Formats: sequence, structure tokens, C-alpha cells
Amino acid sequence: MKKIQILLTNFLFFSFLFSSDNFWSSHSANLLEKNRWEIGMFQPFRYGYSEKIEYSVHPILFFAMPNISVKKSENTMWGFSAASQFSLNYPTPLLNMVSRKGIGGLIDPNLEVPPMLGLSFSWLMSKTILDFNLTIKNGLDFGLTYGSLDKRASIDLPLVYHRLGIYNNGWGYHTGIDIQKAVMGKFEILFDIDLLLLPDLASTQANPDFKGLRGPYSIEHKLLLSWVKSDRFKVTTGYKFVNAEFPFGTQSRLLPYIPLSEKWVPIIELQWAGVKK
Amino acid sequence: MKKVIALSFLLFIFSCDPFVTEFADISEAEMYVAANSSNSEQLYNGGQVKVVTWNIRFGSGRFPFFGDSCGDEVIAENQTINTIMKSIADTLNSMNADIVLLQEVDISSKRTGYIDQVQYLLDNTNLNYGCYASMWKADFIPTDGIGKINTGNAILSKYPLTDAERIQLSLRTDQDDLVQYFYLRRNILKVKIPSLSQSGKDFYAVDIHATAFATDDTKEKHISKYIEVLSDLDAGSAIFVSGGDLNSVPPGASFDFCLLDKCEGERFIDSDGSESEYHSVDSLVGPHKEGSFFNNFEGEPDLLSPLYDSYQTAISHSDGSSLVSSNFTHAPSTSFERHAIKYDRKLDYLFTNGVWVAGSGYTHQGAWELSDHMPVSAYYLPESE
Repeated sequence: MKKIQILLTNFLFFSFLFSSDNFWSSHSANLLEKNRWEIGMFQPFRYGYSEKIEYSVHPILFFAMPNISVKKSENTMWGFSAASQFSLNYPTPLLNMVSRKGIGGLIDPNLEVPPMLGLSFSWLMSKTILDFNLTIKNGLDFGLTYGSLDKRASIDLPLVYHRLGIYNNGWGYHTGIDIQKAVMGKFEILFDIDLLLLPDLASTQANPDFKGLRGPYSIEHKLLLSWVKSDRFKVTTGYKFVNAEFPFGTQSRLLPYIPLSEKWVPIIELQWAGVKK
Repeated sequence: MKKVIALSFLLFIFSCDPFVTEFADISEAEMYVAANSSNSEQLYNGGQVKVVTWNIRFGSGRFPFFGDSCGDEVIAENQTINTIMKSIADTLNSMNADIVLLQEVDISSKRTGYIDQVQYLLDNTNLNYGCYASMWKADFIPTDGIGKINTGNAILSKYPLTDAERIQLSLRTDQDDLVQYFYLRRNILKVKIPSLSQSGKDFYAVDIHATAFATDDTKEKHISKYIEVLSDLDAGSAIFVSGGDLNSVPPGASFDFCLLDKCEGERFIDSDGSESEYHSVDSLVGPHKEGSFFNNFEGEPDLLSPLYDSYQTAISHSDGSSLVSSNFTHAPSTSFERHAIKYDRKLDYLFTNGVWVAGSGYTHQGAWELSDHMPVSAYYLPESE
């Protein structure tokens, strides 16, 4: 039972990490066609509710971190198709799961994580230029806490620290650019670079001698190669690179990485899609 | 269990550097200079040299850290670390030491707010130069919320340091591979202090923190390696002052603290996960509490005899001083609130192949609240004196 709990907790946690990545077409301002759905091992379930609205939710993660995202098609701007995206998540149960004694304890078990709500607003603009599908994304993230969040309850890891940092800082800003291109038959590549900012984070810290809440930025880049077998199945591989500032200094990492063998391994993601009749 | 954990970590975080740093048998130590150090080198002007050894327990004082006491805390309050570190710096200043051998110094650990304690002490004391050798360096320890850690031994000095070496000590063999991967890698830190060279003989400071919790013969290997390092210096006509937290009691001292250190409701858990009571009274049979029993292998109670036989010690053993309570240097961090005990055993030592000023050895028990170890100091008498 304990093994299952540890396995499940870690699966949920990693799902949380990678659910912020967009492997298929979810990164663009283009919505799924009406009634089309997509899902991946680490990706949320996405559903084209109408020509104008797309929903997504991570179904397994939902039980530990309730989450939902809505993307809405907007009027074309300067030749770009545009969309707005609103996301909401409640990370408290998941964080309290990893606030535990023993192996799998990522947060000091003496620190209880209060109810917190994460809100994210993004504006996406996409355009095809010379066979390159370009998407520009900008947005704001807000972290609402209902109670006292101990500053020590951070998880100082890439991808995690800056996403949870909004709950200490109150807000953050994200921006990024994605470039996707079809190459050689059923293959396509995606190049992206994102910037996450937690402006003035250090000032939220009461004690200036400590560095517990420093680290205002994270630059994240990934390069993915996908084999699109059909419009129902896709396999993706690639890497993610993070350069970010943490409380202990700047660090760069190539992901995913297996600590025990000290080796990088490529991302492997399987995705399925279909159309609701 | 290992497979489950390995699978769980399969997609875990990642780095361009090793996730957990392992070390070569011999590697360079990290060098430090005080921010306020003057450009002109601090030169030795003769006279006695005060040497101190102190396990400062990462500046957490008697904080009930889950790993080495009956507490269950992990990350200290910022204010606790700030206050203790200031008191440690003040204490070192009042001692006016020339050379300080430190153990359990954090330089980049979440549990202590990522303060570089080596730099902090250099910047807030009359010491000017430092070197550091990590004994536990990992980007993230996914246990109990420890997170990032970098802690180890340091040597601080008024005088410039050169040729600093980190000498790797044996790893424990009583742990499974996964635990060992994330576990401590203890070391000996050796550094030359050219200003104190005498009559053509190089002068070295040597700092050690031996294993505390091993139940196999790892401690014997650590002390043997320590003796080997000191012997090599001695054979090479070098002078050394040395010491540290040897996690060993003096010959003739009590060696069983299992019942005293046992926490309320604590039971022995073996490698299969089955539980049993610790032994009753001074049993040689066991089971014993890790870190509280000093007779795990044949000869462990007399492990330090070769050091006493070969070198001069700051606190004399031949006259029984090392066995009296006024020279005890350690008690578990929660001993005071549980048993009103501030110190109950001696684990910290100073040795030299030169000469200590007679009667200068002193155990600073007044500093008991600043760590679970108390500093030991003595004046080294240079040959010219």
C-alpha cells in the first residue's frame, strides 16, 4: 500500500510538472475542432467543446490537484489568429501529499500548506509564416492563499519553484514563443522558449539575510520531435532545458534526468486523440 | 521497494551537474577569503597559536533536527539560524583563535536558508582565510523535506591557506544502495599554513568528522585513515595541529548511551522493517541505537588509543582529564529538555605532533546552547617559543 502511495504521489507530482508543457497543438491559438479530444501520458485531457471554446483538465491529477483550463477563440489581430486562456488549479492537496516524513517528502512535514488557488490568464497569437507555425504567448499568474503560507514550504527544483512561487509572491508573469514545423512526411518539430518571472520576489521575505525566496526568473526551452502516426496517435521525444535562478543561485538543467544513474534521458510522450460522435 | 523508488525517480529532476555529488579519493577543497580582509596578508608575528575545534551543527543550536535527536523538525526558522550564527561568530571572536577546525558547516542548504556559513564566519570574525570540503552535497534530498544540501568541514585561519585537500573517507556498508546514494560522504580536510612553518617544517591543519551512525566497521576505517594522514605528515617532517568530531569516546569511557538517547516510544527497526525493543542495560548483545553505542566492533572503545599514544592531546588522557564531565563535549540536541543533560560524553579532540602549551586545553561548555557539540581549544607552542 505504501509503495502504491509513493508511486502515485510521484506520478501525480511529475504529471503536474509536465502538464505545463504542450506537446501537440495545444500551445497555439488554434483550438481543437468541435468534439475532438486529445490526451497524453502526462498531458491533460483536452476537448473541443465548440468552434470557439476548448476545455482541458488533467483527469488523474484532478483528484490531487483539481484543475481546469478554458481556451476561447478571439478575433483575428494583425493577421494573427488569437485566443484567450483561463486556467485555475488548487494545488493544496498535492502539496500536502508531498509534505511528508520519509522518502517522497519534498516539503518539511511540519509545514502545512494552506488552501491556495492558482489563476492564470494567457493571450495567445498564432500565424503561419513560411511554413512555420508561430505562436506568441503572454500572460499573468496569480496565487491566492487562504491562510499563512510558511516561506520555507517551497520546493526548490526546476519547473516547480517558479510555478509555486506565485503563492509567495502573489503574482507572476509568463511569456513565450513557439515555432512548429512539419518536416519529412509524418514528422514535425517544435521549438519553444518561455520566460517565467516572479517580480520583486525577494521583497516578500521578512529576513533579508536569508535567500529562501530569491530567484525571480526561469527560462525554459524545449525541442521536440514528433511522429504523427495519424490524427489519432502521436509519439513525441525531445528534451527540455531550464536555466533559472533559485534561492541558492543560478542553475541550468537538461531534462529529464535520472538521478540514480546521473544520466539524461529523452522525453517520451504518447498521445491519443479522437472525435466524440 | 528499491524498484518502486527507482521508477518514481525515473522522471525526476535533472541537471547538467550530478544530482548527488560524489568525490574522488583526493580532491581540491573550496577556498575562501573574508570580504573585509585587508590586501596585505595577515602574517604570523610569533607567539602561541590558539587552535579550536567545533562541530557547529549548521548553526542550528539545539534545534530538534529529525536526523540526530528526538526532534522531528527539518528546516529551522530563519531567526534561529541568524541568532545562533551570530553567537557562534561572537564566541569565536572572544576566543581569538588563530585556527578553527569546524564540522557540520552549511554553505548552501535549504535547512539553513542557503547562508554560506563559511563566508559568514569569515566576514564576522577576526579570521581571514578558509577552506571547505563538502560531506553531503545534493541538489535535492527527496526525504522529509530536506531539499538542497551542501554541508561539510571547514578550516578557518587568521593566516593564508594553501594546498587544501579533501580526502575521501570510506562510505558506510550497512546501508542499501539507494540510501547510500543520497547519504553523507565524509572526509578529512587538510591544509597548509605557510606562515606557521617552523625551522623548514611545513605546518598543516587537519580536520575530520568521522561517521556517527555506522554500525559496521566504517568508523574504524575512518579513524585508521585519519591516523594514516597524520602519520604521513609526521613522517614527512611536517608539523600538524589536528582534530575534529571523531564520534568516538576516549578509552575507558562509557560506551553505551542507547537507553539514555532513546526517544519516547522509539523501537529498534532492523533492515527487514521488523521492530523490537532496544537492549535493557549495557548489553553487548543489542540491538543498539545508531550513534549511541561505541562498541559496535572489536576494539572500538580503544579506537583512539593510537592517537593518544602517538601525539599530544589538548585534553590529557593519561591523567584522566578526558574522562571527567568537565571535558565532555556532546549530548544529543534534545537531551536538555528530556533529561536536563547539557553534555554527557567526549567526542571532540585536538592533537598535535608538536607541543600544546601545558594546561591550555579547554572545553568550552558554556557554549552548549550553540550546538550539540562544544568547542575544544588549546594553545600550540611553536618551536621558536
